[in-house]
Amino acid sequence: MHDRELKTEKPDSDGGAEAPLHEELRIRRLAALEMGGKEAVDRQHSASRLTVRERLSKLIDVKSFREIGTLAGSGEYDENNKLVKVTSAPYVAGLARINGRPVAIGGEDFTVRGGTTFGSARRKGGQGGFIEDLAHYYKIPLVNLIDGAGGTVTSAKRRGYVAFPGVHGFERSVQLLGEVPVVSAVLGTAAGGPAGRAILSHFSVMVRGTSQIFAAGPPVVKRSLGRDIEKEDLGGAAIAVDKAGTIHNAAANEEDAFAQMAHFLSYLPQNVWELPPVTECDDPVDRCENELRTIVPERRTQPYSMHRLIELVVDKGSIFEIQPTHGKSVITSLARLNGRVVGIVANNPKFYSGAMDANSARKQIHFMELCDTFHIPLVFLVDVPGFMVGLKAEQEATLREGMRAVYVAGQLSVPTLTLVIRKCYGMAGMATCNKNDIDLKLSWPTGEWGSLPVEGGVAAAFRREIANAPDPKAREKELEEELNAYSSPFRTAEAFAVEEIIDPSETRPILCEFVELAEGRLRINLGPKGKAGVSP
Amino acid sequence: MTTTNVTSEVIGSVWKVEMNVGDTVQTGDVIMILESMKMEIPVEAPTDGKIADILVKPEESVDEDQILCTIES
Repeated sequence: MHDRELKTEKPDSDGGAEAPLHEELRIRRLAALEMGGKEAVDRQHSASRLTVRERLSKLIDVKSFREIGTLAGSGEYDENNKLVKVTSAPYVAGLARINGRPVAIGGEDFTVRGGTTFGSARRKGGQGGFIEDLAHYYKIPLVNLIDGAGGTVTSAKRRGYVAFPGVHGFERSVQLLGEVPVVSAVLGTAAGGPAGRAILSHFSVMVRGTSQIFAAGPPVVKRSLGRDIEKEDLGGAAIAVDKAGTIHNAAANEEDAFAQMAHFLSYLPQNVWELPPVTECDDPVDRCENELRTIVPERRTQPYSMHRLIELVVDKGSIFEIQPTHGKSVITSLARLNGRVVGIVANNPKFYSGAMDANSARKQIHFMELCDTFHIPLVFLVDVPGFMVGLKAEQEATLREGMRAVYVAGQLSVPTLTLVIRKCYGMAGMATCNKNDIDLKLSWPTGEWGSLPVEGGVAAAFRREIANAPDPKAREKELEEELNAYSSPFRTAEAFAVEEIIDPSETRPILCEFVELAEGRLRINLGPKGKAGVSP
Repeated sequence: MTTTNVTSEVIGSVWKVEMNVGDTVQTGDVIMILESMKMEIPVEAPTDGKIADILVKPEESVDEDQILCTIES
């Protein structure tokens, strides 16, 4: 461990002039560094997993780790009360820096009793652990390196009774979500408390292939339901990230997971009492991209790449997409505009035509709450035809989840800008505005909106008139054409019901000015945000 | 020889099939176009290879995750 500051050197053979390290401190530190012993460390490596100390050294700045609780563990003593052996606590914790900024960081040591909890006067990690107190009292981000399945029935034997659920509860974890950034990586098989803490995070990531997460693992499933299922099929990234959205992002390997955590943190302030960090930007603010004028196809039924559109607008190389493989009809990305952090919510016409389904609604809600909590202004790039329709969508409670998105958008207090790229229809369209703000709505000339699209809407609204016409088909078409004329965005701009129609190529300069203006407001609204009411 | 299933990411119907069994495809080539939520959704080859089988035809309804065709590579 080249970058640790824990001194364990032996005294000089000649006694030396230098004062030697206290012998018992040296021995106990060495025991901590050995973790669960060579065999256990080899087992961890052969499962393509790093030890918790290797993980720390790969994630944090060199020589930045200040370990706390190094000596915690269980000692064995001989009949003369002389120390024979120490088994370290199955959790390593401390203070460190990531990209120069302080964090509280800790993780289960799977090589010691599988990273289970251990009986001590004060918990190092886990819910209610000292690591969470460090983050809370110093107002610094919390980084969880999760590799454990939580409690074990053996603790009841040690204690002599079974603990009531929540004695060491999630109170602090919940509190932290409104105070400091919390990021978690699932790096092994997580169930129970550690799995719960992965969810109580602003950003979570897991490694595709070597990590799994579930409420309960295969043995419990077998016992409860009589079904055999492999842990990867039950809680691998294909289920937990892509399908369920239980964890936000998947990583190719542990190093990638650490890079994603560090990248996420680089957009966030240290706590809710600070502004997000502003970085130097060499991408010109006045960069006008002509490609934007033609990116939206003339034919309304043809999709285009919203990812490309975002890329053309924000600072080059500044995009960090959250949940890229789940709820794909909406794109949620952190990015920068002239070095200032912005949250982008953009509908994806390539997926369900950009319609909001239950998954994309939940994804958008999480992202809006994240940005609102950490004072990150929001930009909505809108191309939404409405809520997703059909039996499956109804079974998934799309209407309720979608209205929750409208509800959360209705409680935003962060500055917001709405830019309509193409479609903005119905209640899903309402989830792209912030009525508590100035409610600035811009549009490209390709914008179109309304309570519902004209086609389909005409057939329902003029049913009798169409049926009674000599040529019903022709009458329907006539009515559609008549109404389509009203749906020109320029007519709405004429009525000042949309504030401005912009040249698509000017998008970047306009958005850069917006986030600069937003900063003045953000500065006077710092601190935690209250919650009110009952979410639908 | 590995067979890759090409599945539909969305619920909808088949609008046009652009390729035939036996055609060589490269990653990203459009095999067919689905219609979903009044939008044309291209189905792109996820891998290089040869179209081994096409399991749907125009106007047929398709469900999410339904196998549309297979590619041998």
